Amino acid sequence: MSSNSRRTFLKASFLSTVVVVMGAYDIFDKIKPSPSLNLVQKDLFPFAQELNVNMPQYMSIILAHSRISETDKEFILNGVKWLNEEAVAMYEKLYTKLTSNERQSVLKNIVQESWGESWISTLLTYTMEAIFSDKIYGVNPQEKAHKWLAFDMGLPRPTKALL
Amino acid sequence: MKYDVCIVGSGAGGSPIAYELSNAGFNVVVLEKGKNYTESDFSKDELAVSRREKFTPLLKDEKHIIYDREKDGSVKRYDGAEYSWSFWNGSMVGGSSNLMSGYFHRMKPDDFRLLSTYGKIEGANVVDWAISYEELEPYYEKVERVVGVSGVVAKHKFSEPRSTPRFPFPALEVNVVTEWFDASCKELGFESIQTPRAVLPKSALGRNGCSYSNFCGSYACATGAKGSARAALLQKCSAKIITEAFVYRLESDSSKITKVHYYDKDLNSQTIEAKIFVLSAQAIESSRLLLNSKSKFFPKGMANSSGEVGKNLIFSAGGSGQGRFEFENLSQKQQEGLMQPGLFFNRSLQDWYDYEEDDKCYKGGTIDFLFEHANVISRATREFYNEDGEIIWGEELKQKIHKTLSTSRVLTFEVFNDWLPTDECFVSIEEQSKDKFGVSVGAINLSGHPQDLEVGRYLAKKAVKVLEEMGAKDVSMSISASPPPNLVAGGCRFGDDAKKSVLDRNCKAHDLENLYVTDASFMPTGGSVPYTWTIYANSFRVADIIKKSLIS
Repeated sequence: MSSNSRRTFLKASFLSTVVVVMGAYDIFDKIKPSPSLNLVQKDLFPFAQELNVNMPQYMSIILAHSRISETDKEFILNGVKWLNEEAVAMYEKLYTKLTSNERQSVLKNIVQESWGESWISTLLTYTMEAIFSDKIYGVNPQEKAHKWLAFDMGLPRPTKALL
Repeated sequence: MKYDVCIVGSGAGGSPIAYELSNAGFNVVVLEKGKNYTESDFSKDELAVSRREKFTPLLKDEKHIIYDREKDGSVKRYDGAEYSWSFWNGSMVGGSSNLMSGYFHRMKPDDFRLLSTYGKIEGANVVDWAISYEELEPYYEKVERVVGVSGVVAKHKFSEPRSTPRFPFPALEVNVVTEWFDASCKELGFESIQTPRAVLPKSALGRNGCSYSNFCGSYACATGAKGSARAALLQKCSAKIITEAFVYRLESDSSKITKVHYYDKDLNSQTIEAKIFVLSAQAIESSRLLLNSKSKFFPKGMANSSGEVGKNLIFSAGGSGQGRFEFENLSQKQQEGLMQPGLFFNRSLQDWYDYEEDDKCYKGGTIDFLFEHANVISRATREFYNEDGEIIWGEELKQKIHKTLSTSRVLTFEVFNDWLPTDECFVSIEEQSKDKFGVSVGAINLSGHPQDLEVGRYLAKKAVKVLEEMGAKDVSMSISASPPPNLVAGGCRFGDDAKKSVLDRNCKAHDLENLYVTDASFMPTGGSVPYTWTIYANSFRVADIIKKSLIS
């Protein structure tokens, strides 16, 4: 199996994982992680969209990355499950079905838990990676965040992405 | 084929031997665990270099077990892979010297006679070195010429004697904020020193000059200006370098190493024979290899009849601190000067290389000042929390990142003082934990001496005074017993007593006729400066000794 097809396989395996969301007494739903993950990242740092940064694509890179541990990848997916379980506990709805204000309430609730704080910090860290990534990674074509901070990127620039 | 010399490890400890002996016509082979990179590979890609740590092994493949001794004497075990606790540096041709900042200070004469000068310290295994500063001085000077050290020699209270009046290369350009620093030091009665750097300001030695990229420390140099072992030495000699070669065992008879065994990139076992073997795999891994090389001749591990292999592991003690300069307190011109990217800071203090307190003389150390690293992702992630310690997101986070990163700049300092060697800080083998090669991993047993922290705090308070005098805000310091993984030494200390040391004064194993160890393992104490210059100098010294041995 070539390295590229292996990456494709891993990417598919993580993002095609079904996350089981538990309700108070039983299974509430079985969901794909991407919609929740994409939405919560918009909620955490909406400015990334204004910067034309493709966060879903960057998270695909992270979930397939050879130098991100399986433990870290699982934590991202477990966070999606726990986020939704908090949403169900508070509103009896999945995170993606909530209003913006309700979602912010869920985030404020989970941040009180150590996993929640750590998970939000992790997602924000990946957001910072994406918005300040070199365009060679394919998610930040205009590199607007660098201009936003008047930050000069180091030279020489990479000619190949490390995946 | 039998080589004249086989060197394990291509960093600052091994490369001077490769350079000197191959240029003298000897047949030299270097075994390097990492890959070979050229300057065209060295981009300033924060994601690859700093976030994904491109130049170090994956911890799931290769790790250490860490035993950390708490203040109450209890010991906690950490699996490096589980806790993401890495002691790897640059796994590549040239080793971690590629990634160094190149803050080059010589050790002082008293560093070579710590026991004689400062006396015994309870709980610490302090000894004098087997050689003097005067014996190493010609090699410090050689490093200045061959590797390239730039700067200005200024006389100060603790200046070390020099055989030449000046550095061979002029100082790098510095940021205007150094003028504020110098003025503040003058006001406080401190002596500001221009930090010597192993970086060429202009093209020389067949290498390009510095491009002032703003990304120096932690990044490999794309111009070759930084005096890495790769740029300064290996690319200027004919030594054969075998990359992706992991040496897992040394084989010997009763008096000589006969061959090294290594796994190549396809995990096939290979051997190399040579007349002389030089071990320079960086301190922890060199001890690990010796301890893993047990035989009927050396049942406690190669060169370990004394039982001293792995003992007296040291790091650089100290810590760091910082202060922030904010636009609101500065004129337009000062703001522009502050934010000028690329220019170095290059200022140090050594006023307290030793000092008296409560009628007692202490060995002190060095304080280097430098701007906060330019890595923008790291700086942005440090803004995730508000003043109440709560994590923030959305617009609040956006505003905080913008304000902090675009209207202020942080000046940091690093304190270097002795990590006193003790019985509790050493390398051993974790027999049941294997790496991807199936070889038992090294166990790092950590313990700091209380005096390390006292001295570190004393020095850091002086640095804080300078930052406050300069008008910095949010001034803070952090002195801890955390070991910096890139500043590690000891484990095979040299000495004249074969029962109390692993190596003789020539860094040859007492037990073997043809094994030398030339990374920082030989150092019985570390001085109060970064180690690289001393490692280079000592390796050039040992190269001369090996050359004589081969000629005779």
